[in-house]
Amino acid sequence: MKIVAPIRQLDEIAALARAGADELYCGVTPREWAERFGGASANRRPGGNLPSLAALAEAVELAHHNGVQLSLVLNAQQYSVEQIEFALEIARGYADMGGDAVIASDPGLILALAEAVPGLRIHVSSVATCRNADGARLYQELGARRLILPRDITLDEAAEIAAAVPDLEIEAFILNDGCVYEEGSCNTLHLPGALGGPICLDRYAYVHRHRDGRPLSPALAARLQENDAAYRRWLWYRFSCGFTTTAEGMPFGPCGLCAIPALGRGGIHALKIAGREGPPERKLASVRMVRQILDAHERGESPAAVMTRARDLRPSHEHCATGFMCYYPEVVGEAERARETARHSPPTSPVPTSD
Amino acid sequence: MSAPLTFLRRPPAPPPTGASAAPPTALAALPASGVAIAVSMVRPRTLERLCADTPARAAFWSTTLHDAALADWLAPLRPTRLHVGSEFCERLLPEPEQLARTLAEASAAGLEVGLLTPVASPEVLRALEPLFALLPAGAEVVVNDWGVALRLREFHPLLQPVAGRILCRMLKDPRLGNPQYAPPAAHGFASPWQQRLFARVGITRVEMDMPLFAGADSFAGVPLPLGVHLPFAFVAKGRMCRTAGLARPGPERFAPRPFCHHECLGLAARTERARDGTHDAWETLHVGNTMFCRHSAASLAVLAAAVAAGRVARLIVPGEAL
Repeated sequence: MKIVAPIRQLDEIAALARAGADELYCGVTPREWAERFGGASANRRPGGNLPSLAALAEAVELAHHNGVQLSLVLNAQQYSVEQIEFALEIARGYADMGGDAVIASDPGLILALAEAVPGLRIHVSSVATCRNADGARLYQELGARRLILPRDITLDEAAEIAAAVPDLEIEAFILNDGCVYEEGSCNTLHLPGALGGPICLDRYAYVHRHRDGRPLSPALAARLQENDAAYRRWLWYRFSCGFTTTAEGMPFGPCGLCAIPALGRGGIHALKIAGREGPPERKLASVRMVRQILDAHERGESPAAVMTRARDLRPSHEHCATGFMCYYPEVVGEAERARETARHSPPTSPVPTSD
Repeated sequence: MSAPLTFLRRPPAPPPTGASAAPPTALAALPASGVAIAVSMVRPRTLERLCADTPARAAFWSTTLHDAALADWLAPLRPTRLHVGSEFCERLLPEPEQLARTLAEASAAGLEVGLLTPVASPEVLRALEPLFALLPAGAEVVVNDWGVALRLREFHPLLQPVAGRILCRMLKDPRLGNPQYAPPAAHGFASPWQQRLFARVGITRVEMDMPLFAGADSFAGVPLPLGVHLPFAFVAKGRMCRTAGLARPGPERFAPRPFCHHECLGLAARTERARDGTHDAWETLHVGNTMFCRHSAASLAVLAAAVAAGRVARLIVPGEAL
């Protein structure tokens, strides 16, 4: 499996490649785009972009020089006709630079890209929310070469899609940056923090009620209150345990490291590290973490040993046990059992990182 | 979605009774022809009240939508369609027996039935097959997943796919107070590439929510017969369901693998964020895995004008109280 990592500045490229990334992805919002479209970003992450097409060209060259591929993100949920035409201009220029792939979500843009820039690989963004083999087949018919699965998918579903569409590469989330709502079904903005931030983190008060107007019983009200408290706990985990890291800079969840053996068995082609807008140190630590666990898996360690190794990366056993930090919480029980077994066995040897 | 920051300006606080209870802007009367009403329900019942006389319908709409002016506007037109199922949750598809019963009851009430379908996991695709088999030729299936649309084209060509509102992506953030941001928030149905995709999978009708700042042009450029949802727009939906957390403790309490006892059919929440003495322009609520916002009276007036002008072929109204 390949490791796919994000960048937003040129000096991240060599470091991430050395740490073990196989592919990188970036966004770009040229000044003319911002001027024509009212300051709107050309993709989903306005704070995570290269500043110019010149910087993009340099990024392509640097990536190839360091032996990794570079994909360009054009994954806004939906583009106007004028924006699609401009996005095609960007894509043509990017292809001329030697760029490797465009990550897109809007099916109209995907169709337009396949026709206008036929030599350029198209990767379907997780923002497309494609969660079944028929959807994957349609995107393949439109010209896609890879499907990035949405965050909220189970390991069984991912494997079923990969098996049903074997000629389409499948990429799955492995680390960082949870969303509450599905990206393709969230019609909101990430507002500045002072105005509320992402809507899923905004401080909404919930007043529960029966839909038919009956008052809640005290018992039901108490259950709802407990559920709200559990949801807030889950939310804290979902957003990287309050956006914290270990002293070494390793991020806490969302995390799928324990599921790497299952993802491998399921025919997943690439593992996506999210977080273009994050600091360089977090990206570097993230790549090292995934590389370490992937290397153990590819070296032939047993799934139980790989899971144990993944859980021992960070002082997060209690967090791991909640399942709330997991992209694939269905493996929590399995990982817990593996760790219990490992406690009564000789420790596994550390795997050197690629850096 | 990406955000230029210049548009952000908080609106003044709305009247204490909320946007939906604001004095109604004059609504152009519904024309007797040219527009149809579809009623959407997860678990259809009380169809007889929908098909009774105008006063009975007004009472039904008033109870369901909590808006007397809107109820009075809708009541004169008898609904002709029933949309059953769910656009938002894979756990709310009807069982085949339920759908068969609904088809019979709707037929007796003179209502055509359409099936609402959500973003589809492989399991949902399997669950849809026996439901498709029950639908009569020509029946509409509202698709919110391109895979479902492709499947209909390939295996059920006699059923009619309709592009649902989840496929109509546009900005609907209820926290925004400034209509200057309305232009980039428009629908994308006018794109020629989008139209070709519709043709490719056989879509001949489309649905959308009301834009946040609806204006005279909001429904222009739609190349296919248009259905518009009212009075709620969906803001965001997850696969994870907060309400379903009531049903399942442990690691997968809020996990993507869905499990619940359909708690959302009975429960909802009014949501509010009051900050610094200001309020959001739009009333919001949370049902199951989805956040909704309620249109303002002014937006409904724009919709009524669009209906009167013949730009909207169908109004889609929830038949169950949110």
